[in-house]
Amino acid sequence: MRKLLLLAGSMLLLSVSLLAQNRTITGKILDPEGKPIPNASILIKGSKTGTSSQADGSFSISAPANTKALVVSAIGMTTQEVDVTSRTTVNISLISSDKTLSEVVVTSLGIVRDKRSLGYATQKLGGDQLADKGTVNLVNALEGKVSGVNITGASGSAGASVNINIRGITSFTRSNQPLFVVDGIPISNDVDRTNGGPNGTLGDNQPANRALDIDLNNVESVNILKGPAAAVLYGSRAAAGAIIITTKKGGAGGRTEIIAGTSYSRQNAEGLPKTQNQYGQGTNGVYNPSSGNSWGPKFGTTPTAANGLLVGGQPVAYQAYPNNINDFWQTGTISDNSLIINGGDAKQNFTLSGGYLSQNGILPNTSLKRADVKFGGNTVFRDKIHLGGSITFTNTLQNGILGGNGASALAVVLGLARSIDLTGYKTKHTYQNPDGSNNWPITGQDNPYFDSYNDPLKSNLTRTLGSVTLGYDLAPWLNVSYRLGIDAYTDRRKQVFAITSARVPAGQDLESTIFRSELNGDLIITAHKNDVFIKDLSVSGLLGQNINQRRSQTVTVQADQISIPGFFNVSTGANFNIGSTEVTNLQRLLGYYGQLSLAYSNYLFLELTGRVDQSSTLPTFKNTFFYPSVNAGFVFTDAFKVQSDILSYGKIRASYARVGSDAPPYLLSNTFVKAGYGNNVANFNFPYGSIPGFTLNSNIADSTLAPEFTSSYEAGVNLGFWKNRVSVDATWFNTVSTSQIFNVGIPPSTGNQTKTVNAGRMTNKGVELLVTVTPVATPAFKWDISANFTKIVNKVTSIAPGITSFSIPGSAFIGSIPSIKVGQPYGVIIGGLIPRDSATGARLINAGTGVYATTIANQVLSNPNPEYTMGLTNTFRYKGFNLGFTFDFTKGGQILSFTAAAYKSRGAWIETAKDREQPWILPGEILSGGKYVKNNIQIPAQTYWGVMGGLQSEFNVYDATVFRMRELSLGYDLPSRLVKGWHINYVRVSVFANNVFHVAPNTFFDPEINTQGAGNIRGLDLQGAPNARTIGANLKVSL
Amino acid sequence: MRYKNFLIYLLPAALLSGSCKKYLNVNTSPNNPQTVPSTVLLPTATIGIAFANSNDLDRATSAIMQHIAGVANQTQGYDVYNFSGAFDNQWNGEIYGGSINNCQTLINLDSATSPVYSGIAKLEMAYAFSLATDIWGDVPYSQAGQPSTYLYPRFDKVQDIYQGNPSLGIRSLFDLVASGMADLDKTSFFKPKTDDIVYGGDITKWKRMGNTLLLKFAIMLTNTNPTLAKSVISGVLSGNNFINDNSLDFEVPFGSGTGNQNPIYNFNYVNRTGDQMLSLRLLNLMNGLNDTLRLAKFFTKPNGAFVGFDNGSNAVAPAVANRSQYGTYLIGVTGNAPIRLLTNFQAQFILAEAALILGTPGDPNAYYQAGIKASMTKVGMSSSDIATYFAANPTVVTLTGTTQDMLKQIITQKYIAFIGNGIEVFDDYRRTGYPVLALPNNPGGDDPTVIPTRLPYTNTEQSTNPNAPNPRPLVDVKLWWAK
Repeated sequence: MRKLLLLAGSMLLLSVSLLAQNRTITGKILDPEGKPIPNASILIKGSKTGTSSQADGSFSISAPANTKALVVSAIGMTTQEVDVTSRTTVNISLISSDKTLSEVVVTSLGIVRDKRSLGYATQKLGGDQLADKGTVNLVNALEGKVSGVNITGASGSAGASVNINIRGITSFTRSNQPLFVVDGIPISNDVDRTNGGPNGTLGDNQPANRALDIDLNNVESVNILKGPAAAVLYGSRAAAGAIIITTKKGGAGGRTEIIAGTSYSRQNAEGLPKTQNQYGQGTNGVYNPSSGNSWGPKFGTTPTAANGLLVGGQPVAYQAYPNNINDFWQTGTISDNSLIINGGDAKQNFTLSGGYLSQNGILPNTSLKRADVKFGGNTVFRDKIHLGGSITFTNTLQNGILGGNGASALAVVLGLARSIDLTGYKTKHTYQNPDGSNNWPITGQDNPYFDSYNDPLKSNLTRTLGSVTLGYDLAPWLNVSYRLGIDAYTDRRKQVFAITSARVPAGQDLESTIFRSELNGDLIITAHKNDVFIKDLSVSGLLGQNINQRRSQTVTVQADQISIPGFFNVSTGANFNIGSTEVTNLQRLLGYYGQLSLAYSNYLFLELTGRVDQSSTLPTFKNTFFYPSVNAGFVFTDAFKVQSDILSYGKIRASYARVGSDAPPYLLSNTFVKAGYGNNVANFNFPYGSIPGFTLNSNIADSTLAPEFTSSYEAGVNLGFWKNRVSVDATWFNTVSTSQIFNVGIPPSTGNQTKTVNAGRMTNKGVELLVTVTPVATPAFKWDISANFTKIVNKVTSIAPGITSFSIPGSAFIGSIPSIKVGQPYGVIIGGLIPRDSATGARLINAGTGVYATTIANQVLSNPNPEYTMGLTNTFRYKGFNLGFTFDFTKGGQILSFTAAAYKSRGAWIETAKDREQPWILPGEILSGGKYVKNNIQIPAQTYWGVMGGLQSEFNVYDATVFRMRELSLGYDLPSRLVKGWHINYVRVSVFANNVFHVAPNTFFDPEINTQGAGNIRGLDLQGAPNARTIGANLKVSL
Repeated sequence: MRYKNFLIYLLPAALLSGSCKKYLNVNTSPNNPQTVPSTVLLPTATIGIAFANSNDLDRATSAIMQHIAGVANQTQGYDVYNFSGAFDNQWNGEIYGGSINNCQTLINLDSATSPVYSGIAKLEMAYAFSLATDIWGDVPYSQAGQPSTYLYPRFDKVQDIYQGNPSLGIRSLFDLVASGMADLDKTSFFKPKTDDIVYGGDITKWKRMGNTLLLKFAIMLTNTNPTLAKSVISGVLSGNNFINDNSLDFEVPFGSGTGNQNPIYNFNYVNRTGDQMLSLRLLNLMNGLNDTLRLAKFFTKPNGAFVGFDNGSNAVAPAVANRSQYGTYLIGVTGNAPIRLLTNFQAQFILAEAALILGTPGDPNAYYQAGIKASMTKVGMSSSDIATYFAANPTVVTLTGTTQDMLKQIITQKYIAFIGNGIEVFDDYRRTGYPVLALPNNPGGDDPTVIPTRLPYTNTEQSTNPNAPNPRPLVDVKLWWAK
């Protein structure tokens, strides 16, 4: 906080004019703790004459003899008048103003602004609110703490991606993840998927979203720009909001600081269903050792030939292994070490840091390792030229295993038959046969250890993030700067399938190199003048030019039919024709933008922005598009000089913004693509031997494509009560997305399946509320509460003429397709519903079978959008102790759980043992003699649970309401009088826990799971990894 | 000074704007070509019609026709007439997308220099359209595969597809074939070679294929337009240029390597090893006809004996290793059996039926026996085994009784010969009612009281095409040509 405020100060340009001078006043500006405040403004009262304090807080000002007082102000501090009638030396101690109301925030383009001047909503979190809490991924660390944001992790698998949507989903098909910006440079937060065999991305490992590469230890602060208003200057990319990350820098406090941190934590699988342990492998009560289901005889049944427990006159071994599923999960560990050296002063400074994180996941053979090194520095020449730069190098290694329906380790383990003992299969010579083949009694499945150790995905990513900034103060009020940034990474991946793997029995070695780079350059001219035209009117202007280039290339060699068991090199394959691909994308953009900000008396603010983009992805004759924004803020408590003990601060604000987005590349011309037929159950892929085959692209291009637009209206209020001990930040917003670029479904009988169009309309209406309360604030004890509430209502109001529904791009199982449907919120899952008696609502039963009638297709099966979310963080500081905990609550939203289906249909869930041997009757009605009568057809428990556990059945759609203790941490700072003697700033030890517990009233599993990870497809649990609970400790020393 | 400096900073921006047209001109896909030669489209279309014939539609019709019994997943559903959410892939990606669209592209692509490609494309397209209309009834035909003209293709009536309807601009399937055959006769600068994966560019064989296609189409009209059927078949007979030898069969080859296998193998032996097996009802039929030697070419005999499963049964299926599954004739060694679309035995049975019912030239019994022999030879029975079978089962191999009795014999033999091609069998069954089949156990779907007479329209077409019949006809509504 402190450092950031200082940084901000250095950017404020003060108008100085020299007057006749009679005397020199000197002094020091200090904060309440006695630390110097550099860049504080010192004005002679009643004049425009002033100066600013040096890095050590000192200042010197020449003042007329009759000067009575100085007006001293600094960012984050209450402005103070100091009487100097009879003094020439003053030490001034400023008092901190409440930070939520007068903090500075980093907005678009890395520009530091006083939050009071913003006409739109932002929320800032300090690095201390994020790091050392047991999370590895920055996005996870935001959970429960930010209003207006929905965050769902894929799972507890090491490195799994985390989905984040700010203010709902605003684009039909483009990424709805916010733009991530590190120190002013946009970076990639893409999720690169690698096919998990024929199941593709429906059964892959869960790869990371690339914000994972950010070292939390090095994050100074994160500012969330929520609406397009806040981000309009980033253009298209920030239509879904922006996450502005500021890393730690040198120069704070004008001295060198070394921060060393180490943490260690342990993880365990959490939120798994309870199992029954009365019945083992088999079908219809008969033991069958090659069955994966627990529909066999009850344990302890007298062995007979009929029940399969007596074979050749000998009883077979048959017992429950109550912990067989839990045996599979391991205790994960995370160790995280970092060293940060920051040196210099406000003008010349450097930062050097390194971090190493090593995680062993809760699943066998899963891990994450991340090493990062950063060097950066800033300097000022001749008081006018500002030069800065930094370079960060990251190496991230992720090792993951397959998930998903059909033959993955997880699909086998989730609902594992109760009589299978996994402990005897853990080693290589037990999970595989001597010839290296899969050792497992059940056809069509892999031994889960065989699958884990022999079919992994390895990712080895190297990433470089670099930036250079050059600025020149043309005049005290005018600055020109250029900033160039590049983010480039190469992810080398290897996904293998051993010979005899259930998904790819012939074996496969898939080598994939994923390259992405983004070059971003901004020329920015800023000007600032106080007292323009009239007194107290200050004007800031900004003109900018942006050049952006994004390049990506994925080259994949897929070697099928591996010849040497246990040896994986593409040279051992016999067929390279199926998944081998080269995909290159290049898109460029030129942007021109401007911003005009007016501030009157620091209580009335108005800002206008405009941007023109030229994109390479749009038709050349209409590739230029303009979008504006306007926002205003009014601090009425200052304007009306409200003097109240209760209402200490009040501001209302409103904004309108429109953001245009270009298209993905290459959508303007029809193409041909390599041909292939079929899906995961049967397929054919060209070339056929050496004979190539191409086919018309199933999509029809649109050569006249126009940009898509999102317009946002926002209004809000910031209130502070009781000297800002209670503050409220409330926002109402309404976002309208139009002219969406997507491939609309057309009749397949045209020979094509989709056509690129500009159409559709979708709205997001919502409220977000952030309340912070400090019930107690004494020097020894402080209690802070931060609570947030978010409610977003999304509605697709139109798609295209004649089109009422289409599927979200991505892989889906037919029968549960994440879709965009008119009149529904984005992302509803379309599937089959059982027909009902319209009079009673009862489900209809097939009179012949006693189970439900065939489902009616194309119905809304589930809706993943929550009704609202809430978060609550409490922080207690008592002397050196610091206790914090965060709860969050998600109301509503539905999840379609294949995991739940498996536990039911496989007879593993605890409920499936109840009345197992009694006849069951499905609730419903049967048609009898032209009338509906109550169903009375008895069916066995196995059939009953088979119906309840139908993979895509409505019975596996659950309300995902969940209350969770997200974080708990307790820290202790060794007494400063003790450590000062050691020349140490502080020594902090803390213990923490993450995902401490959850209460989900409507599910028997943890519903906060999102197997498909970060992206537009949500609300599916396709038998992925469970969540993890993390408990650990941390030591941090600052020298 | 200051303003000079200012200009220096603006210079890069000015330079960029100057060259920005070039800078932005990078939107041509480096990933996918905008034009391709005919040689890479023909194999796609050819594999397309074979894949459509032998993938999900084959599994559904083979279960309905009780060649196989479903024991798990989709096939189990098909077995009891649960087609919910099915066949989108077939309609979208195999027939209209895959076959028809690429045939249409071949026809559009410069037919002046490559009429042969256009001719082959018309024959394959006619086959693809016949698959669609025979399965679903009224389907997009005259307006299909032309998105720039018809974004919402009309559903043409079955009778118009077969007979044509000039008032609606509908050219009959027969005329489409004739037009294709005429193209084949034209001088062609570009000629297919290895890209013709069926006949290797031998145009004379394509002419035979075209004529046999006419036989297949004509026999569909025995109930509704016997006059047209008779005239077409008589014409083909007099031309005597059809598939009349096993070596001329129109069968699409597949490979044994991953990705090139035929879908019958790929489904049953690679991806869904436990979903379907021999129907007990077919096993009983074959046992009754003492035709198990031939059955052993179609289905495996685990532990030396056939193991069938009753259609729709709730009983527990035997372990996968103990089930009779598709055998070498249909799967080859590892998926390299061809998919047989038009065969000599089929032509012989058609001619037998035509001679019997329509009075076209020839002896029904001679054609009948030629059909059986062609089938037995094709599946790999030795000539001595065939002779032995004929000697031992004279009542089976000789047409006797009433016309209906004889028709039943012909169609039953066709039913056996076409094991693995459920669509042809399903067509014949609906047209003739033979062989006589009983409902499966636990039937469901639209109408559990009858064997389906069509398959339901697919979700995607129904939800995107306002011209699609809505509500869709139930699966018990008979097609125009049905009995």
